[in-house]
Amino acid sequence: MRLNWLKTSVAAATLVAAALAGTAHSDAQDKFKIYLSLSYSGNAWQSEAANIVKALAATPPYDQQVELIENISGTDPQAQISAYESMIEAGADAVISFPISSTALNRTIKRGCDEGVLFFMYDATVTESCAYNVSYLSSGFGENTAQALVNELGGQGKIFLSRGVPGNSVDQRHTDGAMSVFSKYPGIEVVAEYYSYWDDRTTQQETAKALTAHPDVDGIWAQAGEYGAIQALLDAGHALVPMTGENSAGFRLALADPDMQAKGLKGVSAGSPPAQSGYAFKLAMEILTKARELAPQNIEYPLPWVPAADVKVCAGDSYEDGCNVFPPEKVPSSFVSEVLNPVLLPEVNVESALNGTPVAGATIQPLPADVVKASNQPGINCDPCDAPPDMYKLTKVEATVQP
Amino acid sequence: MIVGIYVVLYALYVYQQPRALSASAIAALFNNSAPLALAAAGQALVVISRGFDLSVAGVISLCNVTLAVYPMAGPGGALISVLICMAIGLLVGAVNGLLVAVLRMQSIAATLATMIICQGIALVILKAPGGTVADWIADEMTGRLWNAIPVSGLVVAIVVAVWLLIRRTNFGMAIYAIGADEQSASLSGMDTTRVRFLTYALAGVVYGLAGFMLSAQTATGNPTAGTPLLMLSFAAVALGGTSLAGGRGGLFASVMGAAVLMLLQKVLFSSGVSSFYTGVFQGAALILAVVLSGVLSRIGEAK
Amino acid sequence: MTNDLRQADTRFAQAGDTRTSAKVSRETISAATVAVLCVLLLVGARFVSPALGSWSQVETVLILGFFLVVLSFGQGLVILSGGLDLSLPGTITLGGILATGWVGTSDPAAWYLLPVVLAACGVVGLISALGIIWLRVPPFIMTMAMSIIVASALLGYTNGSPRGAAPYVAVALMKGHVLGMPVPVVVLICFVVLGWLFQSRSVFGRYVYAVGTNVEAARIAGVPVTFSRILPYVVSAMCAGFVGIALVGYSSGATLRMGDDYLLPSIAAVVIGGSSILGGRGTYLGSVGGAILLTTLGTIISALGFEFGLRTIIEGSIVLVALLLLREELFKKLWSIRR
Repeated sequence: MRLNWLKTSVAAATLVAAALAGTAHSDAQDKFKIYLSLSYSGNAWQSEAANIVKALAATPPYDQQVELIENISGTDPQAQISAYESMIEAGADAVISFPISSTALNRTIKRGCDEGVLFFMYDATVTESCAYNVSYLSSGFGENTAQALVNELGGQGKIFLSRGVPGNSVDQRHTDGAMSVFSKYPGIEVVAEYYSYWDDRTTQQETAKALTAHPDVDGIWAQAGEYGAIQALLDAGHALVPMTGENSAGFRLALADPDMQAKGLKGVSAGSPPAQSGYAFKLAMEILTKARELAPQNIEYPLPWVPAADVKVCAGDSYEDGCNVFPPEKVPSSFVSEVLNPVLLPEVNVESALNGTPVAGATIQPLPADVVKASNQPGINCDPCDAPPDMYKLTKVEATVQP
Repeated sequence: MIVGIYVVLYALYVYQQPRALSASAIAALFNNSAPLALAAAGQALVVISRGFDLSVAGVISLCNVTLAVYPMAGPGGALISVLICMAIGLLVGAVNGLLVAVLRMQSIAATLATMIICQGIALVILKAPGGTVADWIADEMTGRLWNAIPVSGLVVAIVVAVWLLIRRTNFGMAIYAIGADEQSASLSGMDTTRVRFLTYALAGVVYGLAGFMLSAQTATGNPTAGTPLLMLSFAAVALGGTSLAGGRGGLFASVMGAAVLMLLQKVLFSSGVSSFYTGVFQGAALILAVVLSGVLSRIGEAK
Repeated sequence: MTNDLRQADTRFAQAGDTRTSAKVSRETISAATVAVLCVLLLVGARFVSPALGSWSQVETVLILGFFLVVLSFGQGLVILSGGLDLSLPGTITLGGILATGWVGTSDPAAWYLLPVVLAACGVVGLISALGIIWLRVPPFIMTMAMSIIVASALLGYTNGSPRGAAPYVAVALMKGHVLGMPVPVVVLICFVVLGWLFQSRSVFGRYVYAVGTNVEAARIAGVPVTFSRILPYVVSAMCAGFVGIALVGYSSGATLRMGDDYLLPSIAAVVIGGSSILGGRGTYLGSVGGAILLTTLGTIISALGFEFGLRTIIEGSIVLVALLLLREELFKKLWSIRR
């Protein structure tokens, strides 16, 4: 009886396997097999980054050259290790990935490199030297935004730090950069520091908590989720304060909104661009198609930098004429604006970012010949290595007030 | 029962991915499964005695950051490291035991608090992922003995073997007895407080080993390394047919439950299910596996 | 969970007549202890920052605690019936996504869709319950699997990024004011009263206590056992859906991970409130106290100037102390002194 059960289930399983195998191995002969490995999905940033890659892969001539397979492994490094291993075993040509850990995946990546797989990391990085890191992390988000906030505050005031995820190296790098500036100014007092998990709702809740203890806040330095901080201030009936944050459409539109400005909102929108994924994918394709020779290295993506005065709402579907944010009819407030890049990714538009669809009639354009080499960021894109002496130098803004 | 499910899944996996039979792929699978398998083994101990132990996540994170911040080279260093891990687990387990067995707090509540505290300590030791686990540990513990036997599999096998020995002792039987019915166990003259205390302490030691193996695999420190294993360890225990109500089940079945969970990821990957919907299949497979093993064991009992 | 669990847990099955009075005293003591702890925390908070301990902090705590208080009602009922609901993250997200996707801002009169959203969440709870009762899947696995399934289906349904904005009603629920009081505070008070009546005063509540204490005894006593075991899961899922809608109103948008942070706190609130994780014992007022206590603690901890790791250690220690104070033994002693 027990044996019969086993037999039936084996038979059923084999049938399922046959059916699945049939669909999996149909049209994969002479195309490059490229895996897109997300660690988690479900927020605007991650899905835009993935959509851009999907749209590019469906744009001629890549649509004839690439078999793109997406995998979402969750927030568990073990699961991503397992996914990478499966990809290597399945004969991947390249893996484009948002790594969940800068260090835990190294051994698996090394094994993949030895078998000839190209590893391209976007946004988050790994310290394994055989992988390509395409990231803005070395571009100084923390220190530049911190200086911009100090300038707005005239070097005096109580501020909140709305950080990312505890125990995360990206969050640590941003915060270290910011503190390198804040600690120079004795007039700047960090009265509350909380983790917002790069999420609007959590930012709103945590900011609300901090406001009960410190209603006299003068400014907010925020990582992604910044729009939640504005909402928390409005909820509490508090005046808006100068703040810096990342690239959500809600924040950019608020910066340009005269009503919000009248309530006291000032600041700058900078931070992590989802467009990095598309850049990483195109670089990988140019290497695979032998259009480019590039040894594994850390490649810097420029830091987006949009002060309130530069915010310009787009009329069309792409960033033309210097516009840099889409109106609310087109995108939700959580939409991350820096997903398009007229220079690096002219092939895609807002619909690609939202739905992963290619633009009709577009073809893949070659990338600029030069890449910007990123500086060493110990523990982030290399290990062991030495940080450059001017690691926290300002690139986008100058100090207008002296300590 | 769970072994049968594993065999079916493995057959399916090999069918889809013939390279899965290579020695390195098998070792990789073992390495991947070992931390969860050990976490589930420790969890199973507590569950059999009718408790929940959330501190598993805290102990693993704590061991992981300790190994990454204070690496010790060579086989001697590895020995000290593994002892440190087990000591950390023992300490946390003893605190749990004190709270649950002596102070009679509810296990889920007490271990929730110890988990939070351990996570906090881990974050104090290491603020962000980093550090390097000693090379000897990272290489040898994930390697193969005589190029054939995966070391990680061996570690799990030793834990299971030790358990099979313990199970025959009075202590082993007492764990089942207090899980099934604490009152009658106590009436029959067992020192239930002592047994419960030792159960948590022993489970803690096994979590320490899980933390050690996880560190060997990731070769680096992460203050939140243990968190993903929390729910999975319960799922593995339940999948192995151990009743979450206590008194029944075993360590080996839980280890196999963990192995099934890890293998399921591989099978879903190689079957090319659209990534958005992998969760649907994962969840359905979980329910199906439990139903199937329930039906199979009922048929077994009927015979 | 399974039958053997409940049979073994007969220690606390109190006999007919004295039950109500014993329960009321336990309820009073438990709720009072938690309330005293909350007040102590708020007063102590003044040492952390002078701005704390004010009415505006109480208001913030009540609004932030809204979600947990509602969730702990459903979770509490399920735990009372001898189960556990791990599907909350999935169902909260379901409520939020459907509220933005189906209802949306466009039509202010679309409030009548909200009950449909709640019903959809209820169906998820119903499926969990049926799986647990008919297929005999342990509640832990069944509800966890449902959460994974629902979350993944939503990921596919929204293509990874939820669109739409908060419905007008949801925003009014979280941001409006009546008679100078924030609407969520008023709704919260009504919800707590209704929840208390349902759990402690209605016949359904008694059924749930009965199946949670001993299924077989309940069956013999004529309790509709299957119905009483299904009900808590459906109620819990609908509470989660309601929280999803409220969260959307609070932060004007849904995300796919919006429910993740509430699972462990919902269980913690119920257990801190004095419920037995094995079922058959516990009160809603206790859970409310637990939820408010956790939220108060959160606001105060975040105002401490220490690094995050230290704050986490302090938070865990305070939870531990609260749990030690709220132990069963302590109540028994108090109870015996009073007698």
